[in-house]
Amino acid sequence: MKTAVRFGMVVLGVLAVVGLMVPSAALAAKEIKIGVIYPLTGGAAAAGRELRAGAELAAKIANNVMTDISMDMAKNSGIKNMGGAKIKLIFKDHQGNPTIGADLAKKLILDDKVDGILGCYHSSVTKTVSAVCEQYGVPMINGTSTSPALTKRGLKWFWRTTPHDKWFTKDLFELLKGLTEGKVRGVKAVPKKEIINLASACEKTEWGSHVSDIIKSLAKEYGFKLKKSLLYAAKSPDLSSEVRSLKAVRPDAMLFASYTSDAILMVKTLKAQKAAPKIIWGQDAGFEKPEFRSTLRDSIVGILTRTVFLPKVAQIKKVAGQVNTLYKKNTGNDLGGASARAFTGLQTGVHVLEKAGSTKPADIQKAANALKIPGKELVVPWAGIQFAASGDEIGQNVLGSGLIGQYQKDKDGNLVLEIIYPFDVATADMIFPFSF
Amino acid sequence: METIKNALDFSDSPRIDLTIAGLVALFLLVFPIFPHSAFAMATMIQFLMFSLYGMGWNTIGGYGGQVDLGKAQYVGIGAYTTAVMLIRWDVPFWISMPIGMCFAVIWSFIIGYPLFRLKGHYFAIATIATTLVLKDIFEVWDFVGAARGLEISPIKYIPPDFLRLIFKQDVYYYYVILGFFFLGILYVNWFRRSRLGFQLRSIKDNEDVAQSLGINVHWAKVKTYAIATAFVSLVGSFHACYIKNIEPEDTMSLDLSILIALMAMLGGAGSLWGPIIGAGILIPCKSYLKEWLGAQVGLVGIDLIIYAGIIMVISAFEPRGIWGIVEKVRRRKRS
Repeated sequence: MKTAVRFGMVVLGVLAVVGLMVPSAALAAKEIKIGVIYPLTGGAAAAGRELRAGAELAAKIANNVMTDISMDMAKNSGIKNMGGAKIKLIFKDHQGNPTIGADLAKKLILDDKVDGILGCYHSSVTKTVSAVCEQYGVPMINGTSTSPALTKRGLKWFWRTTPHDKWFTKDLFELLKGLTEGKVRGVKAVPKKEIINLASACEKTEWGSHVSDIIKSLAKEYGFKLKKSLLYAAKSPDLSSEVRSLKAVRPDAMLFASYTSDAILMVKTLKAQKAAPKIIWGQDAGFEKPEFRSTLRDSIVGILTRTVFLPKVAQIKKVAGQVNTLYKKNTGNDLGGASARAFTGLQTGVHVLEKAGSTKPADIQKAANALKIPGKELVVPWAGIQFAASGDEIGQNVLGSGLIGQYQKDKDGNLVLEIIYPFDVATADMIFPFSF
Repeated sequence: METIKNALDFSDSPRIDLTIAGLVALFLLVFPIFPHSAFAMATMIQFLMFSLYGMGWNTIGGYGGQVDLGKAQYVGIGAYTTAVMLIRWDVPFWISMPIGMCFAVIWSFIIGYPLFRLKGHYFAIATIATTLVLKDIFEVWDFVGAARGLEISPIKYIPPDFLRLIFKQDVYYYYVILGFFFLGILYVNWFRRSRLGFQLRSIKDNEDVAQSLGINVHWAKVKTYAIATAFVSLVGSFHACYIKNIEPEDTMSLDLSILIALMAMLGGAGSLWGPIIGAGILIPCKSYLKEWLGAQVGLVGIDLIIYAGIIMVISAFEPRGIWGIVEKVRRRKRS
């Protein structure tokens, strides 16, 4: 009996000492659940894998102290202002279907009780998911959907970190204009009449159809002739007739908005039908995926794609290089436009939580509207993150910007994306004209 | 009065079927009272919607034997009518829904009349073609939002709004679609023993014999096709208010047309309970497999493989669907 009492006292004593040693903050630490809805299967599954890896890496950095990463998020273990609360990501697969996306958002909000939602890549799915979030007053951060309409709906619980397609497409026309003015590195001024005829083919959901409209209006504004503009189904198993239709107008530049499988099919068909435009430009997405590069290999040398991140950025920004090294270690690939923006989306969420100091939706809303993240914190080459709290684009990051890259061979014969636009940060001479 | 009496008359169904149907009906009525997850509620609403789609398909596809793979166009017509009328003119659901049904029925007459000159696979392919053409038209038609579709603003209406069918809690949607579901069963019960129902079954058995008996085969098919489209259009209108976002790729896709036919075929085409059984198995299967396995690291896509496997096993085991298995067992017991 005596021994038992003594043993009990020793155990209690040890527990008391341990209790004193553990900081109160750690006891208070809780988990912050963030629902992440991405296309993990279907035609955009390749993008989904990248997005997931980007978000997971951001969560890992936020949850651990990583002294070799020069960003605030890496200095603390968890959310400092919430007692070191850790970020827990709950992934869901929307399969590119807006109805499934809405159902998953309800599940995450009502069943899993998430504190916020990140997603969804497809603009059409982001639209339904953000509507559900708005209905339930749950914050949603969107890092990768670029349809301009998303931030024109006056939603109070939706914030978008990525620039949208109007900005990106404007970059393309600035590049075309720059070509005629001799501003492009390595290319003498090209007479406008030699690149005046354009043709576009965009996939026909929310995103692609918006891009198509923007191309139409900007072509007019910049004085180019859009000879053909067509929409096609991204799931289409054959794009021969679309390519024939594009070729028929003999365009100088072909412009595309495609997801992964259709981007690959489009380029293969263009090559098979011996299309000969002087410029091929893709609106990111499929044109920038590792699968696009690994499947088509040398035939994409000279193709342009808009993006927000290129491995070359790592040479310009120290923090981008550090994060890229970690990402490459995990996945075997460099950060791309999708993964870098998914990373930035979650990073923004972490900053918002740090500023809010709580998971109460009202606090998060207030913090997000007053947020300002300086550009040096980001892997993407933006001036920073600051959301518009008024005007006709509520919730849109006003400090974002885009890049245009071109697939080229480096001196070792590897396929790399070189920065062509903005002109002042160009990393290589532009290949012009393009040929298969 | 006679019609209502016939609709409520289930005397030709075995007692065991009616007992099970009664228990299921009771379960459906009380389901929201018991603790349930939001995901379970969403799955139940999907089940009821697809049961109704299947009931509609079953009239022409099951009783009439005409394989229609173009039902999504009528989902689209219903959904777009309700969304356009609500967004542009603030017309309540209860007015736009029957208008949508009228548009769908008119469209079904326009395409059904020439289409029913075709038979078998040619008819099935033609229904796919008409859906794709209509979808393409909607994708470039600015009045209905073109490829971007239409969104019922999440901030414009204050829920609960019973006139416009705008609710925050899914339980309201559940009871609305459950009401339509019960009405649908009663209608199909009446239909299968109506003059048209008997005509269709004789057409399915042998079209030439039916014709020789004085049945206007072509007209009977066209009329039934219109009935089927009305069902589907009604659910399309509901879908617009429930999801609050419609676009051609989502509401008028070939995938949806095939899924509608698959539910009814797998449950048992040409039987009263077949489409409900089909939806009752496939919808929860699809939803929960995706939920449990869909986003697991290293298992991405496994849910779709298992789902496809279930469909293949049932189809291989009994091509007439689950109801076919039930009937086979009953026949064995009797003999």
